[in-house]
Amino acid sequence: MTSFFTGKVSFVLKLVVVLLLSSVLVTLTQSAFAQKEYFIAGFLAITILLLVLTYLTKISIPLKFFLPGILLLIAFVLSPILFTVTMSSYNYKTGNIISKSEAIEQIKNRGFESDADGTSFDIKIGRYDNQEAILVSDSINGAYFISTENNRIPLIAQDLTVNEYGVAESAPDFQTLSDAEMANADEIYSLKRFKYQDEYFIALEGFEVGIVSRQVLAFDEVNDQFKNIISGEIYTDNGRGNFAIEGSPDQYLEPGWRAPIWFENYTKLFTEERLRAPLVSVFIWTITFASLSVLTTFALGLLLALALNKPIRGRRVYRSILILPYAMPSIMSILIWGGMFNTEFGAINNLLGTDIAWFQSPTFAKFAIILVNLWLGFPYFYLISSGALQAIPSELLEAASIDGANPRQIFRQITLPLLLQILSPLLIASFAFNFNNFNLIYLLTGGGPRAELDGELAGATDILISFTYKIAFGSSVQDLGLASAISLVIFVLVASISMYGLRKSKVLESFQ
Amino acid sequence: MTKKRYSAVGFVAAVAIAVSGLFVPSANANNEIVVWADGDRGPNLVKVLAEKGDWVSGYKVTVKSFSNFDALKDAFDKATDASGPDIVMGANDWVPTGAKSGKLAPITLTASQKARFTSGQLFDLTYKGKLYGVPVDVNNVAMIYNTKLVTTAPKTFGEMVNYYKANKTSKGLKAGLCVAGGGMSWGAHSIFSALGADAYQFDARGKIVYDRSFNGTTFGKNVRTFLLDGKKSNGFLPASDAGCKDNFLDGTVPFAIIGNWEWKDYVAKGFTMNLMPVPGVNANKPGKMFGSVSGALLTTFAAKHGVEAGAKSLLTNFFGSTDGQVRYQKIEGRPPAEKGAALDATVSAAQRGFGSAASLSSIPQIGAFLNNNAGGANYWDSAPAYWTAVLVDGKDAVVEGNKLAAIWRANTTAGKSDL
Repeated sequence: MTSFFTGKVSFVLKLVVVLLLSSVLVTLTQSAFAQKEYFIAGFLAITILLLVLTYLTKISIPLKFFLPGILLLIAFVLSPILFTVTMSSYNYKTGNIISKSEAIEQIKNRGFESDADGTSFDIKIGRYDNQEAILVSDSINGAYFISTENNRIPLIAQDLTVNEYGVAESAPDFQTLSDAEMANADEIYSLKRFKYQDEYFIALEGFEVGIVSRQVLAFDEVNDQFKNIISGEIYTDNGRGNFAIEGSPDQYLEPGWRAPIWFENYTKLFTEERLRAPLVSVFIWTITFASLSVLTTFALGLLLALALNKPIRGRRVYRSILILPYAMPSIMSILIWGGMFNTEFGAINNLLGTDIAWFQSPTFAKFAIILVNLWLGFPYFYLISSGALQAIPSELLEAASIDGANPRQIFRQITLPLLLQILSPLLIASFAFNFNNFNLIYLLTGGGPRAELDGELAGATDILISFTYKIAFGSSVQDLGLASAISLVIFVLVASISMYGLRKSKVLESFQ
Repeated sequence: MTKKRYSAVGFVAAVAIAVSGLFVPSANANNEIVVWADGDRGPNLVKVLAEKGDWVSGYKVTVKSFSNFDALKDAFDKATDASGPDIVMGANDWVPTGAKSGKLAPITLTASQKARFTSGQLFDLTYKGKLYGVPVDVNNVAMIYNTKLVTTAPKTFGEMVNYYKANKTSKGLKAGLCVAGGGMSWGAHSIFSALGADAYQFDARGKIVYDRSFNGTTFGKNVRTFLLDGKKSNGFLPASDAGCKDNFLDGTVPFAIIGNWEWKDYVAKGFTMNLMPVPGVNANKPGKMFGSVSGALLTTFAAKHGVEAGAKSLLTNFFGSTDGQVRYQKIEGRPPAEKGAALDATVSAAQRGFGSAASLSSIPQIGAFLNNNAGGANYWDSAPAYWTAVLVDGKDAVVEGNKLAAIWRANTTAGKSDL
C-alpha cells in the first residue's frame, strides 16, 4: 500500500494533478495579462512555477504541505488588505477611476464641439489620391466635395452618381470602400479629422454621417496641461486627479484619474463635519450593538444550556428545537422578521394590538435589531455553553457543595469563571463578527431610520460597516478611497479590541 | 533533481501551455460589435437581430445578456478594456456616472435624428451638453382608476379625496390613492407636482425653468389641506408603496399610480386603460407624471476595440430608428421612445397608451440632474422621506416641505452645470 503513495503510480498521479492545475492557472494568467492585470498575471505565473517546483521536485518537503495555505493567504487575505491600504491613500471615486493616460485620451476625444448650426452631411467612406477620404453630400445646398485630412476638393454634380435622396454614391477617382473594407478600417476612419473650412473639420458619426466640429481642448504634453483654444483657459494637473483651472478648483475637466492624496481620506474623517458627526454616533452604536448582541445571546444561550444540563423529560426534543434558528439560513430569518415587524400587516403589531412603526423610530428599530440578533445568535452560545459545561469537572462542583456553597454561589464562583475562561475566545470572535454584522443591518433596517430631509448621512441603526457601504456604493457617487480608509479604521479597531480581550482573558498564554 | 524529473517539469509546462491555449478567452473579435443588456432585453435583442441582421453591413452584432439589471450594472462598472461592451442598454441615470468615469463616449446626432425624440428624452441621456446614447424604451408611470368604484375621471385632487372620505367605510377602502409603480419618489412625483412641487418644468422650447418649480410652502399647505386631518394622515395616501398593487387589484383602493412595465398584470385582472395624470388642486392643471427613458449607450470600449464607427451606425440605424424600435418593441413590449415607432399601428394599445401619456405630460428623471449629492443629499433619494415624516411621524408638512425644497435647490444649483 505504501508503495502506491511513493512509487511510479503516485508520481504519474501527481503529474496529472499538477498538469491540470497548471493548465487552469496558465489560462487565467493569459486572461489576466490580456486584461492588463499585470499584478494578478505575475502572481499566477509565480504560483505555477512554485507548484511545479514544489510538487515535482524534492526541493522542500514541508513546503509541499504549506504551499497551498501560503498561496491562498496571499491571494485572499494579504492582497485585499494591501489593495485596501493602497486605495485608502488615493482619490479613487466616481469620476476618478481610470489612469491618467486614459483620462487624457478621453478628454482629447471629448474636447470638440459641433458648429453652431449642428451641420451634418451624408457621407461615403473611401480613398482618394491614396489617402483616407470621404465623399460628402451637402444636400441642402446641392454641393458635393471630397474631403481628406488636409484637402477639400469641390465636385460638380454632373460628374457624380447621385441617388434619389440627393446623396452622392460615387465620384471620379474616389474609391468607395466595400462593407468589409469599411469595417476593417473602422479605427482609422474614426480617428480621422477630414478637412472642412477654417478650424472646422468633419468627423464620422457612424459610416453614413459626418458632423462638422472643431477642437476646443488641446493637450500640451510638455507642460502637462490642457488649453481651451477658444477661451484661452488653461487646465493644469491639480494633484488630485483632475485638470482644473488654477484658482477655480470647481472648474475641472472630466474624466479624472485616480491620484494619490496620501492621508487625506483619513484626515477627512476628523475634519469634515459631514463625516465626523455621523461617524461618532455610528461608532457608539456599533460598540453598543456588538456588546449587547454578545451579552444577550451569551446570556440566553447559557441560561438554556444550564436549564437543559439537568436530566429532564423531553430534553432531546427541546435541544433540537433550540438549534432550529441556527439551522435556518440567517438571510431568510432576517427577511421574515422584517415582515413580522411591518407596521400595517406585521404579525408583531397584530399580536400586540399596536401600530408601532418599528423601523421609523430609532429606539424601536434598535430594539428590533437586538431582538432579531438574539434570535439568530442564542443557539450558537447554547451549543458551545452546553459543551463547555460538560468540560467542567463535576468533582469541583461536588466539593463546593460539600463545603456548603449554595447553587448561586457555585455558579458565580466556579461555573461562570471556568466557562468564561473556556469561552473567552469565542465571545471575542462573536464581538468581532457583530461589529461587522452587515447582513443583519442591511436586510432588516437598511441602516434606517434616517432623517434624509435634515441631510443625515447615516441612519440610526447604521453600524460602521453599513455606513462604509453607503459611502462606497450607496449613492450615484461612489467614494471607494474614503470607504477603504474607513474599512482600515474598522480593521484597526476590531484588531485592537480583540487583542485587548485576548490578553485580558490570558487565553493566548495557554497556547505558549 | 534527476533527469527524469527535469523532463517531467518540462513536460508539465509544455502541456499546460498547450492545453490552456485552447481556452484563452478572446477579446472582442474584429468587426464584432458587442452589446450588453439585462435578462429581459438581451434575449429579445437576439431575436430581433436574428430576424434582420444587416443593420450595419460588415459587422457581426453579438448580444451578451445578464441575469438582471443590477447584474448588468455591476458588470459594466467592473468592465475592462478587454471585456467591456461597445454598446450597453442602460438607464438614464447611468449617463452622468458613466461619463464622469470615462466609460461612456459621446455621440452626436444629426438634426433629423434628434427630431425622432422629444427634448426631454434627449435631456435624459445628456451630460454636460453631450449626448451619450439613443433613447430606446420609455419607463413611465400614470394614474389609473377602478371603474367599478369610480365611474368618471376625477377633475381635481380634492374630488378624489372627497370620494375617499365619503366611501371609506361603506366600501371598505384601505386608501384613496397609492403608488404601485416607481416608488414614493419617481412614482409619487405626479402627486408632488399636482400639489405644487415640480422637480422641474419645461418651457415651450424644451428648456428647464428653474425658478418656478418647487415651492415648499405652497406644497406643504396643500398637503395639510388634502392629506392630513390635523397632524395625522387622513388615510388617503399611504406613505409607502407596500401593498398598493394588491389593494388596487382587490378593489380596496380606487386610484393608483402604475408603471408601464407591469401593465399586463392589470390587464389580467380585467382593467382597461384609462390612464391619466394625477389631477391638480385646480381643474385642468394636472400633475406632471414621471417618464424617463432607457437607452442604448455608446461606450469608450468601442473605440478601443476599433468598432466605434460601426457602433455609432448601429445606434442610429437600429436602436434609434423607427424600423428598429418597432421590430424590437414588438417583442420587448415596452413603449418605444422613437416618435415614429410610438405611433406605429403595429405596436400594442398599451404601448401606445403609455407612450402618449408620456409625451403628453411627463418629466424625465435626467440622470445628471437632482441625482447628485450636492448639499449632502440628493432629491430623488430624499423625496420618500417627506411622506414618512409627514404622514407617519406627524411632522409639519410645510417645514418638511421646505427642507425638501432646500435639497432640491442645492441639487439644482450643482446640477445646472451638468446638463
